[in-house]
Amino acid sequence: MNFLADIGHVLLTADLWRATLEAAALLLLPALGGVISERSGVVNIAMEGMMLTGAFFAVVADLALHNPWLAALVGIVAGGLMALIHAVVSIRFRADQIVSGIAINIFAAGLTLFLVQRIYGLQNVGHVGQSELLPYINIPLLDQIPFLGRVLFQQNVVVYAALVLLVLVQLTLFRTRLGLRIRSVGEHPQAADTAGINVYAIRYGAVITSGLLSGLAGAFLAIGISNTFAPNMTDGRGYIALAAMIFGKWTPIGAFIACLIFGLGQAIYDANSVIHVSQYLLSMLPYILTLIVLAGVVGRSIPPAADGIPYAPENE
Amino acid sequence: MSEQPSEKLAIDMRGITKAWPGVVANDHVDLTVLAGEIHALVGENGAGKSTLMNILYGLVRADSGEIMVNAKPARISGPRDAISLGIGMVHQHFMLIPVFTVGQNIMLGREPVVGPGIYDYGAARKAIEELTRKYGLALDPDAITGELPVGLQQRAEIVKVLYRGASILILDEPTGVLTPQETVELFGVLRDLIKDGKTIVFISHKLKEVLEISDRITVMRRGRVVGHLVTKKTNEQEIATMMVGREVLLRVDKKPAKPQAVTFRVENLTANSDRGVPALRGISFELRQGEILGIAGVEGNGQSELVEVLAGTRRPTGGRILLGDEDVTTADAREEREAGVGHIPEDRRGVGLVLNYSIADNLILGRERAPLFSWHGLLLRLDSIKNWAKRLVKEFDIRTPSIETPARALSGGNQQKIIVAREMASNPKVLLAAQPTRGVDIGAIEFIHRRLVKERDEGAAILLVSAELDEVRSLSDRIAVMYEGRIVSFESPDADEARLGLLMTGGGAAERTGAA
Amino acid sequence: MPLGSVVFAFVVGGLIVAITGGNPFAAYQGLMCGGLGIGCANGENSALQIATTIVYFTPLLMTGVAVALPFRAGLFNIGAEGQLLAGSVACTVIGIKFSSLPAPILLPMVLLGGTLAGAIWAGVPGVLKATIGAHEVVTTIMLNYVAQWLVRYLIVGGPLQAANGFSASSPIAAGARLPLFLPNDNNLIIFGLPAGVYRVHTGLLIGLVALVIFAILLWRTSLGYEIRAVGQSQRAARYGGINVARTIIVTMLIAGAFSGLAGAIQIAGVDHNLTDKYFNDTTGFDAIAVALLGLGSAVGILFASILFGALHAGGSVMQADAGISSSLVQIVQALILFSIAANFLRVLRLPAFGRRPSAPAPTAPAAALMTEAAKAPPGETT
Repeated sequence: MNFLADIGHVLLTADLWRATLEAAALLLLPALGGVISERSGVVNIAMEGMMLTGAFFAVVADLALHNPWLAALVGIVAGGLMALIHAVVSIRFRADQIVSGIAINIFAAGLTLFLVQRIYGLQNVGHVGQSELLPYINIPLLDQIPFLGRVLFQQNVVVYAALVLLVLVQLTLFRTRLGLRIRSVGEHPQAADTAGINVYAIRYGAVITSGLLSGLAGAFLAIGISNTFAPNMTDGRGYIALAAMIFGKWTPIGAFIACLIFGLGQAIYDANSVIHVSQYLLSMLPYILTLIVLAGVVGRSIPPAADGIPYAPENE
Repeated sequence: MSEQPSEKLAIDMRGITKAWPGVVANDHVDLTVLAGEIHALVGENGAGKSTLMNILYGLVRADSGEIMVNAKPARISGPRDAISLGIGMVHQHFMLIPVFTVGQNIMLGREPVVGPGIYDYGAARKAIEELTRKYGLALDPDAITGELPVGLQQRAEIVKVLYRGASILILDEPTGVLTPQETVELFGVLRDLIKDGKTIVFISHKLKEVLEISDRITVMRRGRVVGHLVTKKTNEQEIATMMVGREVLLRVDKKPAKPQAVTFRVENLTANSDRGVPALRGISFELRQGEILGIAGVEGNGQSELVEVLAGTRRPTGGRILLGDEDVTTADAREEREAGVGHIPEDRRGVGLVLNYSIADNLILGRERAPLFSWHGLLLRLDSIKNWAKRLVKEFDIRTPSIETPARALSGGNQQKIIVAREMASNPKVLLAAQPTRGVDIGAIEFIHRRLVKERDEGAAILLVSAELDEVRSLSDRIAVMYEGRIVSFESPDADEARLGLLMTGGGAAERTGAA
Repeated sequence: MPLGSVVFAFVVGGLIVAITGGNPFAAYQGLMCGGLGIGCANGENSALQIATTIVYFTPLLMTGVAVALPFRAGLFNIGAEGQLLAGSVACTVIGIKFSSLPAPILLPMVLLGGTLAGAIWAGVPGVLKATIGAHEVVTTIMLNYVAQWLVRYLIVGGPLQAANGFSASSPIAAGARLPLFLPNDNNLIIFGLPAGVYRVHTGLLIGLVALVIFAILLWRTSLGYEIRAVGQSQRAARYGGINVARTIIVTMLIAGAFSGLAGAIQIAGVDHNLTDKYFNDTTGFDAIAVALLGLGSAVGILFASILFGALHAGGSVMQADAGISSSLVQIVQALILFSIAANFLRVLRLPAFGRRPSAPAPTAPAAALMTEAAKAPPGETT
């Protein structure tokens, strides 16, 4: 059982916690997207596909443009476009939102692989140069704080962005007029409609935003943490983000706490060179952890009342 | 109907037609509402009243016709347009978000903001306090809407409408969920609003109230306008006849009951509501074979929970239920059914039927493992089910093209007949009927009432729960009045209506009359 | 309507190929050849292609049921893949450990073992859903990943790895293998190739029987009635006395059983050992499209399975002949799903006006069900 001791040691290092925050940020972005989308009443399980799309196009753009910022933008937009498909199918065509979400994930997986072959032939996608990745930024002075400095202030620029977005989304949803309207659409779209709120516009906006956020996460994964595109590189993170959203009871802060837990699991896996247990068993860790978290959710979690139900005002 | 040219028309709808596939909801409907009056729009369920008002409010687009508001032509393509014309609607099913506060609900769509869209709670609170003071509608802006009693929720709806500057108010079946006392308060508010210069359209099928509050009446039937009446000059019978197109029996014809042995005993029953709050606080009564016990009371006083506990879909927290010698206190729905308890639930579409199932399939709901319909509880006996269905459709006059038609396709009355047929056909010892004629056309109401009396005459013990006091009084042999989870009194059906109304709202001495 | 979806998907897929500079006609010709043995341009043997298609669609028959049955109960079983892998692992383990037993005992044992393993793999999400309302989409997907890594763990440096060092398990005993339709005699030439090359196995029969069982279960049994009722309206089901929680669990167990059986059949009939290719297997995911395209009916699943089996077989020929990545097949699959999803609600609404619904799968209630399971009030008995 000395792998438990290994884990214990690793938990004491600042590096592990830095990795945890990084992994958590990567999950937080799609989780925020999921919160926004579901708060407006649209079930969105397509984060996985939107992330993957963002990752792919970010890499392609970076290899072509040699500029990580533009490439990230491309990734963000790509995620948004994928989300647009989900939005149209779910809102305009009132399709079943789960099926649509799964379809997006399959579509993204197939499309990215297909395009890899089309663009790069049967070789692998190339690697992005070190200087063209989304940079890690050490915040001067603050990063010298022992332990916490390494954990909090030596992160990638996207991590900082994610934390800012966390605060932004939390405030918007619960303190602003826009947030009130989004939540009204998700709870009782008919009431919102009769109050003169444009239900469709809000839902479209919410879903596309979730795509933009997931796209950013994908870009971070591909040209920030990694430096290339590998098939299915998102590895289920989109689904884990979903679980985080549920655990967090559809609030940004709650989702973030869940993301930290899941990030910890991911970080422990990444440290597998120092933990003496089969790496494949460790690979299961994030997923089993998610299962346990979901199983242990205290009390039944209550999503927005109209979540998943297409709005059809002239129904019956 | 006399029309003085000097009186302004607040609303003038001409030739409104709206058809859904298979049904014409509004057929060249004309409606005129004078400024400053309370105009009642009356008709059975399905007559088209709500559709007409939804068109006026912009929730539904008419296929053809014109609308003039305050003598100016109006194009209403959505609620925003209606709101800007000064039209406000208080819906039958509230357009309130239960988890929001009263303030948030009232402000929705017109929120006061500070800075970059930050919601200004202070300004909202002030505005609401002003409004509620002006019209005497006391409300706490920070209360959670879903936790308020229904009467206050409706008040929030009204304030919401007034906040947007409505001068024409449409109220869709507003009194269905109110206690008699709340109804009196509502009418007081409406009269104040009229004095303030508003115009009110009042949709209802409750003729007594229509006679009390309105100035003029428009009667609709099957999508058409069939009459205009001046309230002062008409009466209940005339309106009812116009609504249905024939003479209507307003009371059920029945012989006196011949009650037999007591078989159903409820002792000190307690139970909680969905929110974990006590809903039943010690209910005790006895039911004899061959009698109808009616539970009178305003909705929300525990009647729903009582029926659910007796039917086995809700677990009681204390007390006992005895069916004959059997203790069925903790019996679940299946066990109750097998013990001979039938249950007509108050929500026919969401609970009583599987809408996408055929009529035949619905007629065996809950009995799919019974020996009559299945081989050892495994394989279904399709022939047996078919014969059963054919028999019941005939006996209960269920209007349908075939027994394979999905229940969803039937009218409300016929859907209810499926449930009634199913529950009665198994010859239950005890029949629990919760709101059995809600939302059902008059023909079906008469049919169901007759069948209930027939079941009683054949020896069943019937518990009737209804929010319509008339129905309770006309069907029951004994009445129990429920208030806040307790039976406050047993009364005879001939008891004075005013007395019953008082008991239903918790007033009056809880004198026990009649056997417990 | 499903036909329209397929046509739509192929058209859009073709457009995508064309836009990215490929030749859609060559691509589809490759698909047709590999899938149906028609129009083969490069000397591929048609009979062999058809046989390959059959081998590919056999497990889909069962995994299609594994997705379609819970669908009827309002559940989304995205975990068919994991359940299948569980079945494959169980079959392999039993097939190796009990290799001394004779075929009439060992073969049923491995199949049964796979079935049970799959049932358990689906039972866990089922129980979680029934008791605490856990989102079965997420729980089944998590178990998919766990199963995949379990496979890898077992055969790459793990307890099941064969002695020869390859990333695969030892082969299962001869007694655990499903007989083939054609004798494994390389002197017998059929359709131009030695008989042993065709790998169509008797698992096909098992699959067809499974479809029949599914149809009978759903439409002719009391349990089937209850499953469909729960899928349509949990509240009405509860009112009728149906034990909703128990129905959900039983449904998932049965679904997992079907999937696990498919997994066992793959080992017993095709590969005879657990290899790394199972890590990338997509049968369980194809099953989702199969179930939806087949509108949740047995006949539909049959045809949809054949279609997807053909697409799968066609993919490799398409890649070899026309140079188009076989992931085009995935794209086509997703497009089919989109168009079906978009149509479904209309199918559901038709019954309101008197027309008979064509086997409506309860998708709208399913989505709402996940919120409903989370909202069922505490005082109510289930």
